[in-house]
Amino acid sequence: MNAGSMKKRWELTSQQKLMIFILSMSLYGISNMITELIPELKIGPIELKVEYFIFIPLLFAILFNPLYAALGACVGEIIFGELLLGQFGGLGELEKFIEFSLAIFIAGMLVTNPSNRRQLAIAAYVAIGIDQLLGTIVDIGKVYFGIEEFEAVPGLPESILAIEGFAFLNAMVISGTLFALLPTLYLVPRLYGKVEPLLGMKPRDGRASTSIGDFVTPRLLIVGILLFAVAGAAEFMAESDINFIDWESDFIAGMGDGAIWISMGVAAVIFITTLLWALNKKSNKRKGEAA
Amino acid sequence: MELVEQTHKSTLWEKLSVERIKMELLRTAFGHSLTFLSKFDPRILIGWYSFFAIAPWFIHDKTVLIGMLLAIAILTYTSKPSVLVLIVLAFGLVTDTAYMLIVSLAFGGGLSAAWALSTLTLKLLVIALASIAVFSSIDPEKLSDALLSLGMPAQFSFGVAYGYRMLPILIEEYNNLLYSFRLRGRAPLRKGFLGYRSLIHIGKISILAFYPLILNTAKRTRTTVEALEVKGFTYAIKDPKVKRIKLAYLKILPRDYVFIAVSALYVALLFWMGSIINL
Repeated sequence: MNAGSMKKRWELTSQQKLMIFILSMSLYGISNMITELIPELKIGPIELKVEYFIFIPLLFAILFNPLYAALGACVGEIIFGELLLGQFGGLGELEKFIEFSLAIFIAGMLVTNPSNRRQLAIAAYVAIGIDQLLGTIVDIGKVYFGIEEFEAVPGLPESILAIEGFAFLNAMVISGTLFALLPTLYLVPRLYGKVEPLLGMKPRDGRASTSIGDFVTPRLLIVGILLFAVAGAAEFMAESDINFIDWESDFIAGMGDGAIWISMGVAAVIFITTLLWALNKKSNKRKGEAA
Repeated sequence: MELVEQTHKSTLWEKLSVERIKMELLRTAFGHSLTFLSKFDPRILIGWYSFFAIAPWFIHDKTVLIGMLLAIAILTYTSKPSVLVLIVLAFGLVTDTAYMLIVSLAFGGGLSAAWALSTLTLKLLVIALASIAVFSSIDPEKLSDALLSLGMPAQFSFGVAYGYRMLPILIEEYNNLLYSFRLRGRAPLRKGFLGYRSLIHIGKISILAFYPLILNTAKRTRTTVEALEVKGFTYAIKDPKVKRIKLAYLKILPRDYVFIAVSALYVALLFWMGSIINL
């Protein structure tokens, strides 16, 4: 590393980024499979469970590159913790993906010196706090703005609020302390300087630290808010009363029974056009190859 | 006596979980899947899955959802999913539903709340079974190439295939680390209230075992990436020609179109049924 690259924090090669991505993905994937299988302990309405081993991506975010550690962890979770186990929740996963990667990324950026225990503690609580708080806000918002069906049912909004409140506190106390704070405080000082040479990297230099203000730029904040808005919108769209069936039946009542066949016909036309387009594209490609 | 009993119990639990997961993962990663769904092009399957992962969220008609569930349940059965995955799914669904029901009863919602929530359970079931059916049928190699041809970054698609292959090995290693920690360490002599001492002990070990695992995995990852670079992975994959040669074997055949068309017809039929029968 020369002086120029020191200024830009670590300049990682694309191979090193790939290593961080794979490391974070496979280890967080494993831990996710384990946590999916650990049974939950329920005492009345309070549910004690191991939410996730958030310390694993956090370690890599602190020791290496926050961005690739966060992305790797999210991909690992989706593929090994969810798709393989059949726990994938569709659009809701987009929200989780963004919340989680944002939380890990910001927490990783906060640490300027991996041997400073106070910074590590702050990062651990910031990571879990951001992730859980955003998730709770979206979940409560879903009930209050999204689903009219729920409003009609007495008692449900309150119960959702209670469930979410308990879940948040549980996550902060149990997962935040036991699975974020303590492991981070224990593992980061032990891994710092030891795991980097195994990946062919220089340990992150404490002296090359930069102030937090350099990273929490307006751009990062704007991108963060935007991503969160997208995730929230996806959730609301999925859960809210954009009820296609109701809309369709009103439409049918006005237009007669033929309407549904018209819409099916439109769908068929679109399907056939796509098919033709795909076949055309393919034959064009063949021609291109022959030429 | 107590101590012996406790260790015996937890080994039985691990046999039930870790060994089974390992075997199932090995089967998924290295076995040639010869199921009904594995005959189709992986890109078509991903597209098909993304419809069934997203569409149920927008459908509030129970007739349509039950129809979808029937078809997907049959497809899941043909794709021979692991029993363990199904048990995890069933357990999660049952506890979730029961929990929501109990809480809404406690707050005075009654059975109408449960009826409102059963739509959500149906949706979740359709999505979960679709993902099990599709992802236990696609080979990791094919999945990775399909992702690549759909325009995902090469690092990502490589990571997926690598992870599939590595996961059984990593789980075995983690399991061995846990065993060696338990051999060298000492389990708490008294279990404490509700066995909290042994719970803390197990929790502590399961976190500590990640320390050697991280170091070993880091070494292994480096070896893999170096081996890839010997082949010029990061440079080659940027070249569209290399990508085309790599993906040349993926072909969408007439049967893929038939599969999509049959699915589309079936969904159309369900919507038609849904407009007649109101649940």
